[in-house]
Amino acid sequence: MSTVPPPSDALSSPPPGTDDTIPPAPPVTAEPRKPVRDRYFDLLRAIALFRVVLYHLMGWAWLPVVFPSMGVMFALAGNLMARSLKRPAVQVVRSRTRRLLPPLWLLGAVGVTGMVAQGWGPDSEGHPGWWWFHLLYWIVPLSDPPFAEGLPGVHHILGEDWAAELGGPLWYIRAYLWYVLLSPFLLKALKALPWPTILSPVALAAALEFGWLHIPVARIDSAVTDFSTFGACWILGMAHQQGVLRRLPRYAVPSLAPFVAAFGLWYALTHGFEEGHDLDDIPFAQSLWSLATVALLLNISPSWTEWPRRLRRWDRLVTLLNSRAVTIYLWHNLCILVAATVWDDLWSIDTLADHEAWLLESPWPVLALAWALIAVCIVAFGWAEDLAAKRKPRLWPDGSVAARGGTGGRRRQG
Amino acid sequence: MAPRTRRHGAAPGARGGSRRRRLPLRLLLPVLVLVALMAMLMLRGYVHSEILADHRVQPPAATDQVPQKILEGGPVIDTRAGRTESMSVPDHKLVLTFDDGPDPVWTPKVLDVLKEHHAHAVFFVTGTMASRYPDLVQRMVDEGHEVGLHTFNHPDLSYQSTSRIDWELSQNQLALTGAAGIRTSLFRPPYSSFADAMDNKSWPVTEYIGSRGYLTVVNNTDSEDWKRPGADEIIRRATPHGGKGAIVLMHDSGGDRHQTVQALDRFLPGLQEQGYEFDNLSEALDLPSAHSEVTGAGLWKAKAWVFLVQASEKVTDALVVGLAVIGTLVIGRFGLMLLLSFAHARKVRRRNFAWGPPVTRPVSVLVPAYNEAKCIENTVRSLMASDHPVEIIVVDDGSTDGTARIVEAMGLPGVRVIRQLNAGKPAALNRGLANASHDIVVMMDGDTVFEPSTVRELVQPFGDPKVGAVAGNAKVGNKDSLIGAWQHIEYVMGFNLDRRMYDVLGCMPTIPGAVGAFRRSALARIGGMSDDTLAEDTDVTMALHRDGWKVVYAEDARAWTEAPETVQQLWSQRYRWSYGTMQAIWKHRRAVVDRGPSGRFGRVGLPFVSLFMVVAPLLAPLIDIFLLYGIVFGPTEKTIGAWLGVLVLQAVCAAYAFRLDRERMTHLISLPLQQILYRQLMYVVLLQSWITALTGGRLRWQKLRRTGAVEAPGGIPTQRQRVMNEQQEPVR
Repeated sequence: MSTVPPPSDALSSPPPGTDDTIPPAPPVTAEPRKPVRDRYFDLLRAIALFRVVLYHLMGWAWLPVVFPSMGVMFALAGNLMARSLKRPAVQVVRSRTRRLLPPLWLLGAVGVTGMVAQGWGPDSEGHPGWWWFHLLYWIVPLSDPPFAEGLPGVHHILGEDWAAELGGPLWYIRAYLWYVLLSPFLLKALKALPWPTILSPVALAAALEFGWLHIPVARIDSAVTDFSTFGACWILGMAHQQGVLRRLPRYAVPSLAPFVAAFGLWYALTHGFEEGHDLDDIPFAQSLWSLATVALLLNISPSWTEWPRRLRRWDRLVTLLNSRAVTIYLWHNLCILVAATVWDDLWSIDTLADHEAWLLESPWPVLALAWALIAVCIVAFGWAEDLAAKRKPRLWPDGSVAARGGTGGRRRQG
Repeated sequence: MAPRTRRHGAAPGARGGSRRRRLPLRLLLPVLVLVALMAMLMLRGYVHSEILADHRVQPPAATDQVPQKILEGGPVIDTRAGRTESMSVPDHKLVLTFDDGPDPVWTPKVLDVLKEHHAHAVFFVTGTMASRYPDLVQRMVDEGHEVGLHTFNHPDLSYQSTSRIDWELSQNQLALTGAAGIRTSLFRPPYSSFADAMDNKSWPVTEYIGSRGYLTVVNNTDSEDWKRPGADEIIRRATPHGGKGAIVLMHDSGGDRHQTVQALDRFLPGLQEQGYEFDNLSEALDLPSAHSEVTGAGLWKAKAWVFLVQASEKVTDALVVGLAVIGTLVIGRFGLMLLLSFAHARKVRRRNFAWGPPVTRPVSVLVPAYNEAKCIENTVRSLMASDHPVEIIVVDDGSTDGTARIVEAMGLPGVRVIRQLNAGKPAALNRGLANASHDIVVMMDGDTVFEPSTVRELVQPFGDPKVGAVAGNAKVGNKDSLIGAWQHIEYVMGFNLDRRMYDVLGCMPTIPGAVGAFRRSALARIGGMSDDTLAEDTDVTMALHRDGWKVVYAEDARAWTEAPETVQQLWSQRYRWSYGTMQAIWKHRRAVVDRGPSGRFGRVGLPFVSLFMVVAPLLAPLIDIFLLYGIVFGPTEKTIGAWLGVLVLQAVCAAYAFRLDRERMTHLISLPLQQILYRQLMYVVLLQSWITALTGGRLRWQKLRRTGAVEAPGGIPTQRQRVMNEQQEPVR
């Protein structure tokens, strides 16, 4: 969807968990109105994140249909943003941005260093001035951070063109930053005209799709397209927090959403939906499908303050995924590339290639390997998220007692 | 089905014991039926080439890879076992070949002409057509013709993988074996013509097919009869020059082939006079027959295939008839409802309309209550606010939650509480009847709330001495949830369209338990409430009809009731209604042969009610099955269009009902989903009722009920408690 076509769509997760919804230094003592984590949202975020990784590895066109991760992630983030905006807008935007950027800087420090080491530099694209200027997007990603194309890779470890894989998912960070910056205005509009505000991104998506609106500059076009595609989800998340959805009769959303979703799906199916050309490449269909499914998920929204018994065993995993959502999102594509490269290398072992070819062809070991590498990234780079949240860095924040270090810790972790 | 309101009482609990065991069956059976129907439709779509059909045709390609001797050779190409040879038909012999059949209309005519002129030919049949018309294939073989393969569903093989080619051949053989018990070694590729038209795309396919053991047969002369150029032209093109032998291409399928038949009728005798013989291929080339008999498992597999295809054709035909029936029923019913409810509303809303002299005398209101502690107070208070003089009798049917005490504690004048051991709703109503002081009795549920004018409006029709019972207008109180909104739509339509129609037609099937009024003398004549069925209100209403009483609808007698909140509750409520209605229809079946008013009801009302409440919902899922089928196999747009058309009709009816009831239209946004899902729910419920009815559920029910009664004094049987707990909060 962005002009720099992400090798995979890009989905993912959000940020920062949550906690800047809590005023700094929340009192640990029992206090009646301490914000409690909504475990339902945590679960959605974890599923979304898992699905993003799975999709980026498998590329199945139907996965984003089954669970539209991006829409869900933006809706959850919009919900939190609206919750935070009870405080002064400037403060909220600053704290949100602060939460988002350090993990990106860490990725940039590692990634850009690697690119430069392989020969990427001011002269690569013929406009040294622009190169230096665009590099600023690694610091404040108002547009997509640049990356080198066609890099050779590192033998046995990193496949070629790895920088494209690294940079592909970053559109999400850029879109997220814009949503954060726009949120104070979106919230005002939402309060004044709830439904026109929620539906305006879809209208924008339609305008782009049917050519009523044409934006010639690629960097701006991709930003507007992403806004139109998932803006409705972000605003819907805010609307959910604001109680706009609750003001509707309860039957309204489940009555209408299936038909909006069906229309989106129909539009996709009649406009070349197939593997390699899925919802992400048909933004109008994506906007409808995501809006409808997110509306349904928010409509169900049971607001679990604690886990239903059957899901309790997933608690630590979900907590971990939520606490390290940004890290996982930023690094997962690189992990997948490394895992795939290493696994492909096994073809050089003749006995395996001759007798266990099915194993080498199977994507599932790569998935396991990729998640193992993601676990390594969590340990190696996850601290940046804690630092960004002005928290004591933790190695493995899965909410277990050891990691929690106190009763308040669990609520605070992002 | 016209909605009523929930009933209470001992009856439902009786099912409880066997419910868990039956639970899978009630879903399993309908699902199996639907899956089987769907599979049959798929099979049909498959042999009608509506799926997996590939209509691409390869454009001409270079020929440099085709051996020269093939390009210049005869039309019978033998690439078996590494050979590359071709054969030609000897002089003065003609081999007629007919492609794409068999066709139910034209193939018999072609066969007749051939038989008349003692000619043999070769038919290259497709698997789809052979599966559908196996008898014709058998006839070809019986009459000395040869049959060859023409693939299963006629794709251009040069586009297909080898596994698809294998599949086309084997599936084609399967159909042939199933039809005539033989296999064949002749093959003609689709879209083929002369040997010199072989090219780099089709030659590898020909080689491959030879490696599978087939002779590829193309042709020398092409009649081009599918262009329908006229019989003369067909003959001209088919005739070889100078007495040469030839393989002639004709078609017996794929459209109107009367020119082919006409041409044959002259072509055969004409060339026979010139000394030509018309043989099948093996005769002409003096080869062993291309046919070989199939026995054993292969034969049975093929027979099974043809049988399934035949069954799917018949099932599909039956389904189409069913769809036509249900379509007519649905549309006819909507038309009738619109017409009659318009007439009814016009009649009762005329300014000077009156049933008779105003009814002002006091009436008795019976409130049977079982564990209604949460609701009973609201119910009784709403009655106290009535603008018509009432005597309120609350019959506590052995409640364990202090329902009776709550009412007594209210200390209201004119409210009597009667306690009885738990005996079910009919018994409670009969006890109330026995204690009622007035000759008009209003009956309601313990969780229903009346408006102040409800009782007055409800009893006005008794000004007409012929009226024996009056149905009120039950409305859903909890209509904010999705399932509540659906029931709201259903109730508004049921009361404002169905009941008005039944009123006009004089066959109102049910006085709703939530709001109804009876003339006590009328009830006395039919023996009061009966507990023969799960639907005592339907039972008693039918009995009143048979006794000659009028049963009418009072639109302004509104009662607010709580609708089930979960699918499970809704399902068990509808199961009681649906099964109870079937019981009541069965109980009153003899009315069909009665004389007088009973006979009139039996011959008009009963069939009408049976049709719409018991038969129609069983066929209703067909609408959705064909929707799915049409969307998948086409014509997609027409199907969706027709389906939307029905939906629009339903929306119009619903909107009219809402207007009659002065309801806000916003709930109608739930209508599309309601129409889709309700149909399935009602289908499942009804099928379950049929199963229960046909497997003697009634006996089991009675036996269990007795057990329940024995336990009642000590404590309420648990299953009963569960059913009663399904009843929820008071209405508002």
